[in-house]
Amino acid sequence: MGALVIRKLLLWMPFLFGIGFIAPLTAQTMAYWNIDAPLGLSRIAFGLLFGGAWGLYANIRGRWI
Amino acid sequence: MDRPLDDLTRADTAEDFALPTDTGLIEGRVDHGAVDRSAFEWRHAPELDKHTRINLRVQEREVAAKYMSDPRKMRIYTVLTLGCFGLWLAMFPLTMFEIVPIWPCFLFATFIAAVGYIPSHEAMHRNIGRPGTKYHFWNEAVGQVATLILIFPFSMARLMHMHHHYHCNDPVMDPDYTDGASGPIMAWVKTWLNRQPGADGSIHHYKRCLERIGTPDAKVALRDTMLLQLGSMGFLFALAWSGYAFVACFLFWLPRHLGLSYIRYWLSWAPHHPRDGLERYTNTRVFKTWVGHWLSLGMQYHIVHHLYPGIPNHATKYAYLEMKPILEQRGVDCSAL
Repeated sequence: MGALVIRKLLLWMPFLFGIGFIAPLTAQTMAYWNIDAPLGLSRIAFGLLFGGAWGLYANIRGRWI
Repeated sequence: MDRPLDDLTRADTAEDFALPTDTGLIEGRVDHGAVDRSAFEWRHAPELDKHTRINLRVQEREVAAKYMSDPRKMRIYTVLTLGCFGLWLAMFPLTMFEIVPIWPCFLFATFIAAVGYIPSHEAMHRNIGRPGTKYHFWNEAVGQVATLILIFPFSMARLMHMHHHYHCNDPVMDPDYTDGASGPIMAWVKTWLNRQPGADGSIHHYKRCLERIGTPDAKVALRDTMLLQLGSMGFLFALAWSGYAFVACFLFWLPRHLGLSYIRYWLSWAPHHPRDGLERYTNTRVFKTWVGHWLSLGMQYHIVHHLYPGIPNHATKYAYLEMKPILEQRGVDCSAL
């Protein structure tokens, strides 16, 4: 059971990586360069949208680019 | 001598004369018939009569015996590996509290990610300490920590590497076969492509190989890989969401990717290109590179490693130079060096 849960988690790893790592990295990069998020979003909300979408793309397409 | 000298391939075990081998370390099957089915035009070493083969092998073994690893001289691998690992760990709080700038730490992390595979590789072959000796603990310790930055567990690394030795260049059975590429530029590109989520290369291919092998050791390696991947991702995510995404990126994530590409290119593609030989004297090439001995991680002489894995990486150059006339008689193209 535990192994099955881990396998499922790993299957979704690109998406999880998108929200777990790319999202905060995007937000912190924008803060470092003093860039505001568009559409009145907070930086982390924009990061979540961007990272989540990119991770989902990687999950579906099987590649990041 | 407490270990076998040779690293025999399948063909060699049936040919020449019987020698004790490390094949017991390898759990893979050899009845796949991949060689017979192959559409490749495989390169073969010249046919020599049995007397000549045995004579050359004896000479070869005499040279190899002089360069085999000595655990006392291998301590430097242990000291450097554990020291660098400790320093890498220390860099996390040091950069998080802005005690040291991040860029030199990034360079250092990238360096140990790329070079850390070398001591791990020695540990895979038990060159730092043989089982049953007081050095074995350190051998395993080095193996366990050296490739953590790559998120590459030692159990998987050792099993896959032994499999690579035993099935070198076999399109189906060699776990590293997916590193093959037409030229250097494509080889670098392939190191990246093979790591894509849907690709069947790099660690994805290793997982598939382990599932195919299916032995208890393979299952342990798969479990270790899953746990290490999850643990590492959890660590990266926690750092990033705590406000230290740059630290996670430049001390762990980016060095890992750069290191993996470097290792895949120099330790897998370069010495085995064009992967057209399956035999003991044709599965690895001697080559010369403008980056030199150190930056290529000693891989110009990788053929010596495949013949005698007990010779540590730093000694392969000297063993090769002494062994060269014998290798030439065996049909190895030694013109590059």
